[in-house]
Amino acid sequence: MSEATAPQNPYTILFTVSGRTLLCPPDNFVLTAALQAGLKLPFTCRRGICGTCTARLISGEYDMKHLGGITPQEIEAGLFLPCCSKPRSNLIVEK
Amino acid sequence: MSYLQTHLRELIARRSRNRTLEAPFYTDPDIFAADLDLIFGQHWIFIGVEPDVANAGDCMVIDIGRHAIIVARGEAGTLHGFHNVCRHRGARLVQTQAGSYGNIVCPYHQWTYALNGDLLYAGHMPDDFDASCHGLRKIHVRSLAGLIFVCLAATPPEDFATMERIMAPYIAPHGIANCKVAFAEDIVEHGNWKLTMENNRECYHCSSAHPELTRSIFAEGFGFAPVGAEAEAQAQRFHALVESCHTDWEQRGLPCQEIDHLDDRITGFRTERLPLEDAGESETLDTRVACKHLLGDFAEKRLGALSFWTQPNSWHHFMSDHVVCFAVFPLTSETTLLRTKWLVHKDAVAGRDYDVANLTAVWRATNRQDSELVAKAGAGVRCSGYRPGPYSPDTEGLVEKFCNWYIGRMAAGTPP
Repeated sequence: MSEATAPQNPYTILFTVSGRTLLCPPDNFVLTAALQAGLKLPFTCRRGICGTCTARLISGEYDMKHLGGITPQEIEAGLFLPCCSKPRSNLIVEK
Repeated sequence: MSYLQTHLRELIARRSRNRTLEAPFYTDPDIFAADLDLIFGQHWIFIGVEPDVANAGDCMVIDIGRHAIIVARGEAGTLHGFHNVCRHRGARLVQTQAGSYGNIVCPYHQWTYALNGDLLYAGHMPDDFDASCHGLRKIHVRSLAGLIFVCLAATPPEDFATMERIMAPYIAPHGIANCKVAFAEDIVEHGNWKLTMENNRECYHCSSAHPELTRSIFAEGFGFAPVGAEAEAQAQRFHALVESCHTDWEQRGLPCQEIDHLDDRITGFRTERLPLEDAGESETLDTRVACKHLLGDFAEKRLGALSFWTQPNSWHHFMSDHVVCFAVFPLTSETTLLRTKWLVHKDAVAGRDYDVANLTAVWRATNRQDSELVAKAGAGVRCSGYRPGPYSPDTEGLVEKFCNWYIGRMAAGTPP
């Protein structure tokens, strides 16, 4: 397999409220990975508009492309939108 | 024609000039409902200041009777006004008085609106659902040099532009957009909203009721014509002071002259910049500035107080160091919300440049005193023995202008 198509190593995401740990590849959204793993998380638009899935990040790096569903102040306060965020490291999420 | 319309038209037609209104105007829930529709639903209403929504995403929420209003600051800095009602199932969208949002999301089914009111997202709707027909219903919103007014009418009174043209040069030097709200206070007054307004429009009661306020203001500047030799001598000193101050301030580029359109415009207003007592700097207990960081580009502390009164629901005092804005919102036929905001320069630091207790002492005391007076008037006008009483031509001319404006606007809203 060439390097370009090689699957990238998934990151580990720990959801502290449910105590569940799952794997999420770097090209998948955190919410999608959680739903695929059978977690029941609140969500609606899945596009970073509505903010329904807002969660607190305890640790880790992510890449978020939202559409106004979260304010700069909320991001500064440690919140993020799992529906439109891809992991850039292992994550611990308060959910 | 409904019983109410007939009854209301009769009461409007038989109102005697220069007397207080008949009791139903202060007590009748049906006339209160007509006030909300014909006055608050058809005129420009002062609701707050630009510092209330300083940044993109900031929203403020105001309820005026059954009118539920959001004013939001959009991404480009534009102010937008909407009804605070979801276009899906009608749920109230924003619950808190003030907050900051990326988008406005209904808490019921997460219908999501942009800050300009466009519907961005509505889940589980059919393919032919047209989101562009389901944006938030808009309300007209305008900023007059930082004072935010809304109008619920489909076609608002056009003469707001005249008020803005005349008043902006008076208010703009005080730099409202570069202020912050240092303190805000809500008081529920136990009287009809018109009793709150009438009380504001005279200083007949000032000398006995307002020991703190009269340390700095001259009652003569608020429609009070003195009687007796000593009072007339005092009035002459006041008028000489007005003349010399106006000359000085106008040379500094600050308009001062009285302009009174309280009763000859749909968007009624009045203004004048008036000197203050003693040090002459501010409406404080010691008549000196309460905030060391002056407003706008001011270097001079002694700029008196610019007063601005609007029909139907506000008055304001602009000084060199701070601004006090008063908004009146009807709650029920016999209760009224008085919302007061004290503004200082946004870079002023509490404890260093100003002390909140000192900043607010005069008007917090005055508001409490006025609130007691309004409650006494409210308690009296609901009694069987109440009959309309005469206004003093010397001291209550501006009260009559308020009542005559009100009667005229109610008459315009209930055509024969």
